[in-house]
Amino acid sequence: MFYLKRFGWVILAILLCVGFESVVTSGKNFDYVYRMCVLAGLYVTLAVSLNLINGITGQFSIGHAAFYQVGAYITGFFAATGYKGFASNSLVQQLSHIGVNATWTVQGLWLVMMVLAGAAGAAVAGFVVGLPSLRLKGDYLAIVTLGFGEIIRIVCQNQPALGGAYGMKIEPRINSMWFVWLLAILCIAVCRNLLKTAHGLPFLAVREDEVASSAMGVDVTKVKVTAFVIGAAFAGAAGALLGHFEGFVSPPMFKMEVSFMVLTMVVLGGTGSITGSTVGALLLFGIPEWLRQIEDSHHNPILVSAGSVLGFAIMLVAAVAYVRHLIHHFHGEKKAKTQRIVGTFAAALVAQFFLGMLLNLVPALRDKSWPYADLRWAIFAVTLIVLMLLRPQGMFAHHEFSVARFFKRPKEAAA
Amino acid sequence: MGSALTLLAGLDPAGLPQQLVNGVLLGGIYALLALGYTMVYGVLRLINFAHGEVFMLGAYTSLFVSWALGFSPEAMKSGSHQSNPMNLVIMILVSMTVCALVGVVIELFAYRPMRGSSRIASLITAIGVSLLLQYGGQLFLPTSPPPSISDKVNPYSGSWEIPLKSADASLVAALAKARTEAKESQAEIDRQHINRFDTNLPPAQAALITTVETSERQVHDLEAKINNSSVKINLRYGQLIMLGSTIVLMLLLRHLVLKTPIGRAMRAVSHDFDSASLMGVNVNQIVTLTFMIGSALAGAGAMMYATLGDSPALNTFYGSLPGVKAFVAAVLGGIGNIPGAVLGGLLMGVAENLVVWAGYSQYKDAVAFVILIAVLLLKPGGIMGSSKVEKV
Repeated sequence: MFYLKRFGWVILAILLCVGFESVVTSGKNFDYVYRMCVLAGLYVTLAVSLNLINGITGQFSIGHAAFYQVGAYITGFFAATGYKGFASNSLVQQLSHIGVNATWTVQGLWLVMMVLAGAAGAAVAGFVVGLPSLRLKGDYLAIVTLGFGEIIRIVCQNQPALGGAYGMKIEPRINSMWFVWLLAILCIAVCRNLLKTAHGLPFLAVREDEVASSAMGVDVTKVKVTAFVIGAAFAGAAGALLGHFEGFVSPPMFKMEVSFMVLTMVVLGGTGSITGSTVGALLLFGIPEWLRQIEDSHHNPILVSAGSVLGFAIMLVAAVAYVRHLIHHFHGEKKAKTQRIVGTFAAALVAQFFLGMLLNLVPALRDKSWPYADLRWAIFAVTLIVLMLLRPQGMFAHHEFSVARFFKRPKEAAA
Repeated sequence: MGSALTLLAGLDPAGLPQQLVNGVLLGGIYALLALGYTMVYGVLRLINFAHGEVFMLGAYTSLFVSWALGFSPEAMKSGSHQSNPMNLVIMILVSMTVCALVGVVIELFAYRPMRGSSRIASLITAIGVSLLLQYGGQLFLPTSPPPSISDKVNPYSGSWEIPLKSADASLVAALAKARTEAKESQAEIDRQHINRFDTNLPPAQAALITTVETSERQVHDLEAKINNSSVKINLRYGQLIMLGSTIVLMLLLRHLVLKTPIGRAMRAVSHDFDSASLMGVNVNQIVTLTFMIGSALAGAGAMMYATLGDSPALNTFYGSLPGVKAFVAAVLGGIGNIPGAVLGGLLMGVAENLVVWAGYSQYKDAVAFVILIAVLLLKPGGIMGSSKVEKV
């Protein structure tokens, strides 16, 4: 019965992903939406797998793009050397009569193999990076993971066999949206099951207190390395899918900034919360894309003037300072506190509008302007800083999102 | 072993002293930056990720000052600039001041509110500040085409050659002979008005041309041989100024930290933050001052690197690589340890130039990370730092 139920869930997940894809492809001119949905799925996988390392196990890793890159480059390498032989293999040819059509089956089989290969390669990389985590912690570990990511990128950049600085082409391009989302769901399921079962408790114990957990008999070494290996494997699988979706890989696709972006997603959602990471990934991927789409009626990007940016920045600083003061020094009812915080931000929002108009009276500030889309990374940075100042634990903190939590009235804790 | 020997055989021993000197000069800049990392880490236990961006802002400040002093691209075209040693002084002072202010502002708005929270939270804030300066700077600072400070700013454009070993006398004599031969045959050709590229020449003239070509090739080969057999160091005066200023700044810092009441307070805070505040040290003031000094040193380094060193053109990511390398230098020397940072910086600069010398210049940015990982795994305390045993 248990396995039947499990099997039912798996079928449901596949149906959901295929259904999602068919909904997206049923629209007109779906290319852009399709692409966005694929990339969003990949970022969800990356964020949730980084959350396993950072949030659940508490090992501060900021080199996640490295594992992503390993997966993508392994795929690229195999696709360049082996895809033709694979497609003309007699066994594959026989199998190809089973599915909907021959190319679909062959590409599907290949993709599964590549995802496994990418995951395996990245898992090895994760093992190698996980080893220093036995001796290092906190910011030192962060720097080592960052350094490892850069080393991998620089090495790939200088290997003629891997395409050097130009990267390499990956044939064939495979549109694999349902597969991407299936991977994301698999990643979420693995992390969720880990947390819900006894297997996950050592991870949480290591996060809370390494020394105490090792005194209680937790094999800290094993836990840390396992977390790195699983997290890296999912990132590698995502990389493999990215490679076949984009049709090429190049070193700039895996810059340090990608790691920082994934880190921001995890931190925004709340380190340790799977739903938080998912929501964080969707938000931080979606909002900048949405900004890029904003156009005026003549299809020009909407520009923001220097005065508006400056006004916004000043009011943001003021609002953050006041809210911080409220958080630490307001001793009233919780409801009143929330009201004041929300009120501060609302007032700041209105005030920044007027301040911006006022500053725009200065010609120098009015005449310099940027498209919204260019502010993207500045927005990430501001999100990170403001979040750390006001709510370092992230949107959902350690908790998972649940509808019940919304309606549950917090009881007065017994003093 | 065999492969290692062939690897070494391919190296050019005559270029080594020059690369070592270049390494020390570059290392001086890394050391200035590393001092900022190490001082902030010593006082706050915080890796100031934004330090590289302070360096970038320093370089931009120097650029703007050089424009204001009459070295803007337009002025360079009209040729109305005037070299003056005072320009360098003004640039370095303004750059240091601006960087010091930026450092203080960053500390005040981003790091001070995070003082009580976890180290990871502070680290994420630091990453955020770094990203904000990089990408926010892109909106405000000139980036395309990437500007660079005109080398006319530096009035001392010559260089100082130090011969370490002169070339073989026989080679020099052979070179002189080959040169005169080439010149004579060339003169003969000129006299007869022979077109060198004419294919239908009488045999005598063709022979003359062959002689010229062989002797020219000989000259070329001999010049290369002489270059290889003679060992010399070429120091530009700008680099000498850079080295001198770096040493002066470090001596000033040493005096400040070891001989003044402020330095004593700084060392006390670095030793034990809470006890120092109990003993009447104004901790906030000291932290501000530490950021100020560290950032000013970064500003000085940025000005010298961008004006006198072999710097790439400016963009907003200008500081990130030197920043990372300087951080590695600080860790290598033992983070929190001031002489360690200087030593680490010099070693980093030399290591980077050795990699270039060995012919792997494309890997010169990766070497920093390799060193970092090696140090953290083998001797986490660094060369001069003490690795503390963590007690529960």
